[in-house]
Amino acid sequence: MRLFREVVLNFKRSGFMSFVSIGTIILAVTMLGGFYIMQTVVNFAADQMQNRVEAVVFIKDGASAEEIKLLGDEITALSGVKEARYISKDDAYQDFAKDPEMQKILSSFEGNPLPDSISVKFNDYKAQEINSAVAAIKTKMAVEDVEYGAAEIEHLLNVINAVKYIAGAAGIIFVIAALLVVSNIIKLTIYNRRQDIYVLKMVGATGADIRLPFIFEGIAHGFLGGFLGWLILYAVVSFLAFQVKKETGIDLAAFYAFNPALLSPKFIFGMTGAGIVLGLTGSLMSQGRIFK
Amino acid sequence: MIKFSRVFKVYEKNIQALTDINFEVAKGEFVFLTGPSGAGKTTILKLLYREETPDMGSIIVDDTDISRLSSGKVPFYRRGIGFVFQDFKLIFERSIYENLALPLEITGAPSKFIRHTVMESLEKIGLAGRENHNPWHISGGEKQKVAIARALIMSPPVLLADEPTGNLDEASAGEIMKMFKDANAKGTTVLMASHNKEIISNSGFRAVRLRGGRVEE
Repeated sequence: MRLFREVVLNFKRSGFMSFVSIGTIILAVTMLGGFYIMQTVVNFAADQMQNRVEAVVFIKDGASAEEIKLLGDEITALSGVKEARYISKDDAYQDFAKDPEMQKILSSFEGNPLPDSISVKFNDYKAQEINSAVAAIKTKMAVEDVEYGAAEIEHLLNVINAVKYIAGAAGIIFVIAALLVVSNIIKLTIYNRRQDIYVLKMVGATGADIRLPFIFEGIAHGFLGGFLGWLILYAVVSFLAFQVKKETGIDLAAFYAFNPALLSPKFIFGMTGAGIVLGLTGSLMSQGRIFK
Repeated sequence: MIKFSRVFKVYEKNIQALTDINFEVAKGEFVFLTGPSGAGKTTILKLLYREETPDMGSIIVDDTDISRLSSGKVPFYRRGIGFVFQDFKLIFERSIYENLALPLEITGAPSKFIRHTVMESLEKIGLAGRENHNPWHISGGEKQKVAIARALIMSPPVLLADEPTGNLDEASAGEIMKMFKDANAKGTTVLMASHNKEIISNSGFRAVRLRGGRVEE
């Protein structure tokens, strides 16, 4: 009870500083939470993209069924290849003809201009592995050409990775900044209250009697900062998704499934917990020789 | 009750604060510590309060050598000692009631008991009905009364005071001295630093005279 009153009293007395401390925790926690959400979205996008990484092996005209079968087996045996599916020129024609535009183009040809092909999917997106597989396929006798949009996808994945690293580094910097701000603000509070602390000591308060209110103050800042941070992040992400939907009609929330992630108890507790850890660590860092 | 034996204290930069201090205060006695500024009065009180420790010698309070007290025991030792400062040392963000309740709250006393004890104490110092006021809003004499009431609220066997009348006018000083004498009459041992010769001579109590960190014979 006394502890609770002390914490409330400290809050009242250091209104602006409490505000700064909570604000910094909000920033740090929002960065961390935002980073987590971004990570979820980016991983989702990368997965989608990797599933679509596909090479198409065009087979020379006149290759025999046996040669094609052998080629298919050879490709499947290459490391990193998930599957190799044979697509006959007739199948390809039928597939293309589903699109009325393509049908127009195809009908301008005499007969079927499309070659037999093998569609190759890969296990993981590893540019080097795919490149060497593609190079190996190109050397096969029955192969006319291999088409593969490696460069663009590789570039995009590089950008995504860079963004991940930058966001991660920014998150770490913000966490350190928050720790320093919280600990310094509590240090200042302790300094401002040195006369009170002296009086408390003189009337027989133990170290714990004096320290605990400051520690709980840090925890309270952390709790408020963490929870408000979550609230702000939720509001910002929802607003952005709403704007995107309004402008483009694309429902990002449904597509990337980040709404359930943002609203999950795990995430809310995670952010609030991160705030509390920050506040607690900050206040513990501030308790040095002041009390000696 | 209090016994200083061969106590030496040197502050940083070789400032010799106390040299070979020997004196005793009997249980229930009222003793003044007197002498010019810098004589070592405040250092003696700080040693008794365990804000400082001596470099040599022993300080016995109630059969315990407090210079050897472990730091964990110091708060509990302090609960048995009342201290009154020249500048009152009240907490101005707290009401008069809260200032008085502080020593009791720290011991974890039940709130009913705290309320009863604090109200009784306020009654004695004539501030009943003003318990919710802020200490800013009372006179210097009243502030010191609150400070003494706070020092006495745990009924400590020893009461220490450092120039408690130093900031007060004559009338207030008289009232404050009466509070100390009343406490002493009830059995509290009082050790008070003062350089007010009039107060000392009028009181009829013994004085330990200090000069340059030594007890004057």
